[in-house]
Amino acid sequence: MTYQLHRISVLVVEDNAPMLEITKSLLLTFGVGSVISAANGDIGFRRFCQYNPDIIIADWMMEMLNGIDLTERIRNNPASPNPYVPVILMTGFSEKDRVLHARDSGVTEFLVKPFTAQDLYKRITQVIERPRQFVRSGDFFGPDRRRKNLTEYFGPKRRDADEIPTEQVLKEQQQEANVALQKMRDHAGLEKGDSIDLTPEGKSLSNKRKSPT
Amino acid sequence: MTKAQKAQTENRYKQKQLRKAEFIMPPNTLKEKVGSGGIGNDILNKAQELLENTAVDFQPLAEMYLKALMDGIADVRADKDDPDTESLITAILYPAMQLKANGGMFHYPLVTTIADRLVQFLEVLVKPDEDALEIVLAYHTTIRAVIMGRITGDGGKHGLALIKALDAACIRYFDRFPYNKNSKHPDFDETP
Repeated sequence: MTYQLHRISVLVVEDNAPMLEITKSLLLTFGVGSVISAANGDIGFRRFCQYNPDIIIADWMMEMLNGIDLTERIRNNPASPNPYVPVILMTGFSEKDRVLHARDSGVTEFLVKPFTAQDLYKRITQVIERPRQFVRSGDFFGPDRRRKNLTEYFGPKRRDADEIPTEQVLKEQQQEANVALQKMRDHAGLEKGDSIDLTPEGKSLSNKRKSPT
Repeated sequence: MTKAQKAQTENRYKQKQLRKAEFIMPPNTLKEKVGSGGIGNDILNKAQELLENTAVDFQPLAEMYLKALMDGIADVRADKDDPDTESLITAILYPAMQLKANGGMFHYPLVTTIADRLVQFLEVLVKPDEDALEIVLAYHTTIRAVIMGRITGDGGKHGLALIKALDAACIRYFDRFPYNKNSKHPDFDETP
């Protein structure tokens, strides 16, 4: 059993004609059923509205409307036929702050150029197999920006969706925290109320009984 | 712990949320359409082969980006008193990024390696002064030489020597003008 990629359509938005042709050829070789192309973000958005493709692959740096602006339009424009469509952004930038900027605009995946066939395939697999939940918060709408799946969270829960813990649960949490703290004290040879001297004069961790005030 | 402190600790767990966030899990129609199983290695190899055998001539594209790089340098020189140094650097940075991105796609991995070093240099540069522009020009000349000489591989030991010489120029520059290096940049690395 293999992917039935012939059932999907992909829109490629790229102003560099040879690059556009290469990306299209790779997708067709993978078996993608239909590849729609656009030479800039503005045309790209019109084609998106017209064809409603399953995946969008867009270059970042383009005249008229760049890949980031296109993504924001896809996510927020009322004319957008599918604000949840996966957007894979292609770029030569790999610097952390630029990646974060792209992520904050609602991009789903990031594909750094130059890339191999395997790199492109991996991003496509990622949007198929690991779709991200969407978040609407303040002025942001897009895929959840947290990449790590933190299943265990022990901090305060302050979201609407979170259950409000009962007094009993809070007490139990407090007791658990106290037990854990005591274990740490026992391990370090400290007693409740001891302070730790971390100044250079203290040289190493040492415990000093607080002098009574 | 005083009563007030205890109350404060307990209240910490009862705070109201700061921002309203709505979480939506859209239906995975893509998965429904394509099913499972991935694609075979034979197809991936075929696609990679296609990429490696593409007959696109990179030279006209590279010339376009190199011209844009020169225009960027000219813009910086013309507007050297412009306080918006970020825009000035961007005029050079974007064509450098395009060379980095496209070189490797069209059989010029050495162009990608050299342009990548230029991008890294520009990413931490605070103000594009004349000495910095001289370094950018050196990168421009080197990339042009690689294109004109049609050096389509990694350049071997000559390629490595070129990269080392350009790296050394950047290190010397920041040794002379350490204040012109943005150490707050997330990609800033103190080690040479």
